Amino acid sequence: MLDTVVILRRELKSYFLSPIAYVFGMLMLGVLLFFASTSLQNNGPASMQQFFALLPLILVIFVPGLTMRLWAEEQKLGTIQLLMTFPVRTIHLVLGKFLAAVIFLAFVLLLTIGLPLTIGAYGKLDWPPVLGAYLATVMFAGSFVAVGMFWSSTTSDQIIALLLSLVSLALLYALGYPVLIDLMTGSGWVPAWFVDLVNGISPFKYFVSISRGVIDSRDIIYFTCFCGFFLYANALVLNNRRHTG
Amino acid sequence: MTHVKNGRPLGLRTMAGGVLAVVCHMFLLALVLGQVVYLASRNRTRWDLTSEKIWSLTESTQTLVDKLDKQLLVEAYFSPGEDLPVTMRQTRSVLDNFLDELVQLGNGRVVVQRFDPNSDKAISDRCTRLGVKPVDVRGSSATSISVDRHWQGLRIKYGGSKQKVLGQVAPSSSPQAELLITPAIKEVVTTEKYKFGFMEWPIQEAGQPQGIGWSKLRTVEDIARRFEFQNLKSEDAPLIPEEIETLFLFRPKELSDRQKYVIDQFVVRGGTLVVFADASEYRIGQQRAFSNVPVALDAATAETKFLDQLNSYGVDWQPKLLADMAPEAHRPRDILRQPFEYFAIQTATVFGNQARHVPYPYFFHAVATDWSKAADRFARNAEGEVDEAVAKRFRETHGSGIPSDAFMFTTFKNVGRGPGFYWPTWVGLRRKAGGVLDLPAGITGTVHLQTSPGVLVEDPPRMLNPVGFGDPRAQTQELRKFVAKLNERSQAEPRQQAPLMCEVRGKFASFFAGSERPKRPSEIAEAEARAAAAARAGDDTSDTGQGEGQENEEPVVGPPSPVTDAGGNEIPAAAPEAELVAQGERDGRIIMIGDSDFIRDDLVGGNYARLGGPYSTMGGAFFNNLLQWLAKDSDLVALQSRQLTTRTLQLVDDPAPGTDPRVVEEAVNAKTAALRGVNIVLPCLLLGAFGLMVFMIRRGQKKTFLESLS
Repeated sequence: MLDTVVILRRELKSYFLSPIAYVFGMLMLGVLLFFASTSLQNNGPASMQQFFALLPLILVIFVPGLTMRLWAEEQKLGTIQLLMTFPVRTIHLVLGKFLAAVIFLAFVLLLTIGLPLTIGAYGKLDWPPVLGAYLATVMFAGSFVAVGMFWSSTTSDQIIALLLSLVSLALLYALGYPVLIDLMTGSGWVPAWFVDLVNGISPFKYFVSISRGVIDSRDIIYFTCFCGFFLYANALVLNNRRHTG
Repeated sequence: MTHVKNGRPLGLRTMAGGVLAVVCHMFLLALVLGQVVYLASRNRTRWDLTSEKIWSLTESTQTLVDKLDKQLLVEAYFSPGEDLPVTMRQTRSVLDNFLDELVQLGNGRVVVQRFDPNSDKAISDRCTRLGVKPVDVRGSSATSISVDRHWQGLRIKYGGSKQKVLGQVAPSSSPQAELLITPAIKEVVTTEKYKFGFMEWPIQEAGQPQGIGWSKLRTVEDIARRFEFQNLKSEDAPLIPEEIETLFLFRPKELSDRQKYVIDQFVVRGGTLVVFADASEYRIGQQRAFSNVPVALDAATAETKFLDQLNSYGVDWQPKLLADMAPEAHRPRDILRQPFEYFAIQTATVFGNQARHVPYPYFFHAVATDWSKAADRFARNAEGEVDEAVAKRFRETHGSGIPSDAFMFTTFKNVGRGPGFYWPTWVGLRRKAGGVLDLPAGITGTVHLQTSPGVLVEDPPRMLNPVGFGDPRAQTQELRKFVAKLNERSQAEPRQQAPLMCEVRGKFASFFAGSERPKRPSEIAEAEARAAAAARAGDDTSDTGQGEGQENEEPVVGPPSPVTDAGGNEIPAAAPEAELVAQGERDGRIIMIGDSDFIRDDLVGGNYARLGGPYSTMGGAFFNNLLQWLAKDSDLVALQSRQLTTRTLQLVDDPAPGTDPRVVEEAVNAKTAALRGVNIVLPCLLLGAFGLMVFMIRRGQKKTFLESLS
């Protein structure tokens, strides 16, 4: 566990010392708040629905940018060889990097707190569901980071990692979207059981469930399993690489 | 890239084996985790974080399920979820969640059986027989057109005997699912309907033979399937049957002594009397001119007064009209969407003609706030200064507009106000001079609803017309004058809270004790006929030479001979009646409500909404809650009192009356732009500043390090 903390600190430090992370953060905040703040209207609903409806899409776009370099850069620069020689288990390395990315995203999200504060100042905002939705966002972002990290570990090219992450995250996001599911079932090309299965895999479906203000043990277990699966797969890929040279 | 191990390049087979191992591992892990998620979804625990618990079943469903002593079987006739169109898919998910939660709550007492009518002809035939209706959706592709049949109905069975079928259920949200299904469960588990008696005196309008009464709410499906109403207003006015525990009087008027006696004996014998009282009958005429039609409470031939009768039980009904001057009391619940709840006039706005609420203090509601906290506001003198001594007294004497803790008021306390009353009257508890309670021995009393301390009490005016009949400008001026006059009068009136609803209960003494009971019309008719017959018989005997004073020598044997009228027709003997009970042995109860208009058919039906009101939006909820309260049936209260708080942004304060709408719009735009700007720019700037700070610190550290080297 201590090893994870050491890696986490190192990664966090690298985030906060890198100007790219700030540019990334400012861009993400700017885009997100630009669209989300349109909900600030006189006599409009005092809720954060629009903000949380927009967040998954923003994360689909921005998370691959954050995760593409996590392993691919290490491989390209050759520092992965050094990293692998550390007396640290691979899963601790993976966990450290994963937690650092999630904490960085949570920090960026924390800067959006001004919006609910504004809404709360001018209307009766129901705070507990908002906090629940922030928790859901962190879990949702975590699941995306896990997927992005996995793809980053499979290649040394950051662009390929970015593209693979972008496509897979977009797909995962879309699979939870009812309209697309309806299109898939309506077309008759895909069997109904398969559509149901992939719909059950999409984190978006579980994000919607928590973000409305209900914390369900099923959703938490799902996110834990989803992240666990991709992080374990990440560790497997790295271990395989370590053993195959 | 060449992979090397122990100085030798790795073969393709070794690398492929490694990848295969990873893939196998991942596949196995996916299977295990899939199972974990599946099991987790079977045994769920959930926490609803919303303040109003909008995603959870209410206490109503919990209570109903707890009371089940037999098995509740829910047959769900659902076609497969994956075949459903997107619109139904969402409703299915809501329904599935609801049924899952219901089974969990039931703890073995609720069983859900699912059937797919599309898979078996016998099941679809059963659906048709039961009344479960399918939805046919047309689908088309490049080569074919098809009609897909989707089913989503429920049959709820309890104990194998009672059942309720919901032909099509498509709730869009969890609360809606509960609103549809829980009352249906309640219906099947309820063994018999609670009976109410009523007497009503409808308003006869020209061209309406039936008159405007109070039947609309009694026949609402949700009420009619749980309660039974029996009209007991008979020409012959017999005593109220014993099976009736509660009797409603809807705006009583022209009461005969006999009717008063029936009411008296009902409460003395332990019945519950509910009176929707009005001091006057206002009619809504052309251009909503409100004219007063004088109403006599007592019939012309009556020797007793109904007010005295009520007074003898401890009720003080003052047939005066009330107007609440506190703005929060006469402001509609939803001023934007339902300005016509009380009184609105059409006003030209930039968006076209819109109904705008105007203050009319004769239409108002009890406010669920503690008025003692607003003592300073009501203790101001003519100069606008607070009179501390008066304020202190008000803090001690004033209270909430809804002081009652009875469950029927839960809904209203949740929304912070009672139902809107229209031209209400004073119905309180009997008091001595100085305001001390003066209830008869053994009687207790409670005030359930009351006005704000800013109430005006007056004799019902002949005409109440706040806006006159002129053009919009003239109407506005007229309204200003009307309100100014009321304000002027309000300054001179004593500050007090007028009771709007009260209750007395206990063992009542009869108002008619010590006097002869008033006879029924049939008894009077019989007595008159007997007298006439006797007179005729007297005439006959005089004709045959039998003079007055001569005794009938033959004794009467057997039942008395039937009395006949002059034509020889037999006059039916009036049914014998129970003797007068002078002192009650069981607790009776009288509930007085100072308005009957708010549940009247035309007002709850929204007949005047398009004209700008009045429209009683909460009268139905009040009546429903009252019925449940009287029937001591609190099962559905939690469900019906579930109220979502209106959460809207109020970026600028309400403009003062008469403010130019363009100025208001400009202010709103400026505020919106400023808030949006701050919300977008500030977080980005903060992050940038944080980065800059880190950069400066790092540069400083680097500089120090380099200096230390040199």
